[in-house]
Amino acid sequence: MSEARGRIHLAGTRPGLEVSRRNFIKTAAWAGAALAAAGIGGIGWATRYAGAQEGGEPFETYQGLGDAAILQFAYQLELLEGTFYQMGADMGVVSGDALAQIQAIRDHEFAHADALAATLQQLGAEVPATPDFTYPDGVFEDTAAFLDLANTFEPVGIGAYQGAAPALESKEILGAALSIHNSECEHWNGIKILLGIDPPNNVAFEEALPLPQVQEAVAPFGVG
Amino acid sequence: MANQKIEVPGAGVLSRPHSRRDFLKTLAAAGIGAAAGGMMLSRPAGAQLGEIKDDIDIANFALTLEFLEAEFYTQAVDAGVLSGSALGVVTNLRDHEIAHAEAIIDLIEQFGGTPVEKPEFTFPPESLASQQGVLELASVLEPTGQGAYIGAGPLIQDPTVLAAAGSIAGVEGEHVVSVRNLLGFVPPTTEAFPAALTVDEVLAAVAPFLGMGEMMDTGGPVAGGTHRPV
Repeated sequence: MSEARGRIHLAGTRPGLEVSRRNFIKTAAWAGAALAAAGIGGIGWATRYAGAQEGGEPFETYQGLGDAAILQFAYQLELLEGTFYQMGADMGVVSGDALAQIQAIRDHEFAHADALAATLQQLGAEVPATPDFTYPDGVFEDTAAFLDLANTFEPVGIGAYQGAAPALESKEILGAALSIHNSECEHWNGIKILLGIDPPNNVAFEEALPLPQVQEAVAPFGVG
Repeated sequence: MANQKIEVPGAGVLSRPHSRRDFLKTLAAAGIGAAAGGMMLSRPAGAQLGEIKDDIDIANFALTLEFLEAEFYTQAVDAGVLSGSALGVVTNLRDHEIAHAEAIIDLIEQFGGTPVEKPEFTFPPESLASQQGVLELASVLEPTGQGAYIGAGPLIQDPTVLAAAGSIAGVEGEHVVSVRNLLGFVPPTTEAFPAALTVDEVLAAVAPFLGMGEMMDTGGPVAGGTHRPV
């Protein structure tokens, strides 16, 4: 099965992946962040991940957490993104068609967050408090820097949902997660268009991210 | 579940820019519920898009859609009607769909299944006669693929198959946006919860290109399970 898994794994030959990888590194460098994954709400993500096999599928790093914990993490990611776009729109870092796109993405992220919060309540699980997010100095005064960070956030969101999806237990929640995942992919393409990347549809396969990599990417912004 | 015949929309419906809205089933306020519910597990729809009972069937269903898209974009690039950004976008669409088809074939074979053969496809001549024609048909095909993957995902049993499907599904969502951007939509992204499609809805969208449209036009309602494979 391990050989089969290696062939199924669709990563590795994707021309556009360089983009997201580079951005992860940039993000981490900005905050001087090393492996800052402290865990969410005492659930013990890092501990659980330690039990996953090295080189396994990304979804293995989400297995065993349970749907509520996955949704709690996703909820914080959505707020991280939504708040970022909210601040960008409010501070006038983009205008015209770009503003319309950023406002649309902002609205989507908050709609995702609302849906996740409602689902958590249905599950009888706690809706996390909104983290006190930190964004890089000047990012809301520099259009290129703002879009560049958006170009980092979106693949993180994509990778998180895509990584977590096979670990979700409820098929209904999975259906919703797949829809949200696709929305994040739409967003990424929209951001790449704003960045002038032509053609913007430059990856043949989206990349799933293991939980620790997602945590590492967002820790500098106050998630975790 | 009621036996539903394949409803083939007319050309007008298919070329309507907002046709995917017809398929939109916004998730309830709770965010949950509509996305996974509608997949029909058994469809009398011919050899290519036949009964769906396991992951291999779902993968073959997806493979047929990828074949369809790959063939259209191959013909579109070869038609020589594209230029500028549209040529770059559609060339990547073609390459991605081909890569998806190859990946799905690998996947099916790894799981001991038999990949379906590539069917004969027919496209309306106007869809290959101009850049606008290409983009308009692309704006039908891409949301169909996107919705098919979102709809099929919850039916997939094996997590590695689901992981592979997820990596492809999102790319179809990217395609939707790139195509809409070329068609002048501002903003080109769609909605917060891209819709899941049922098998019936996917079949309705792709039947005309599989030669099933003619059959529908002449025959009226088709008795379940009796019509010939394409």
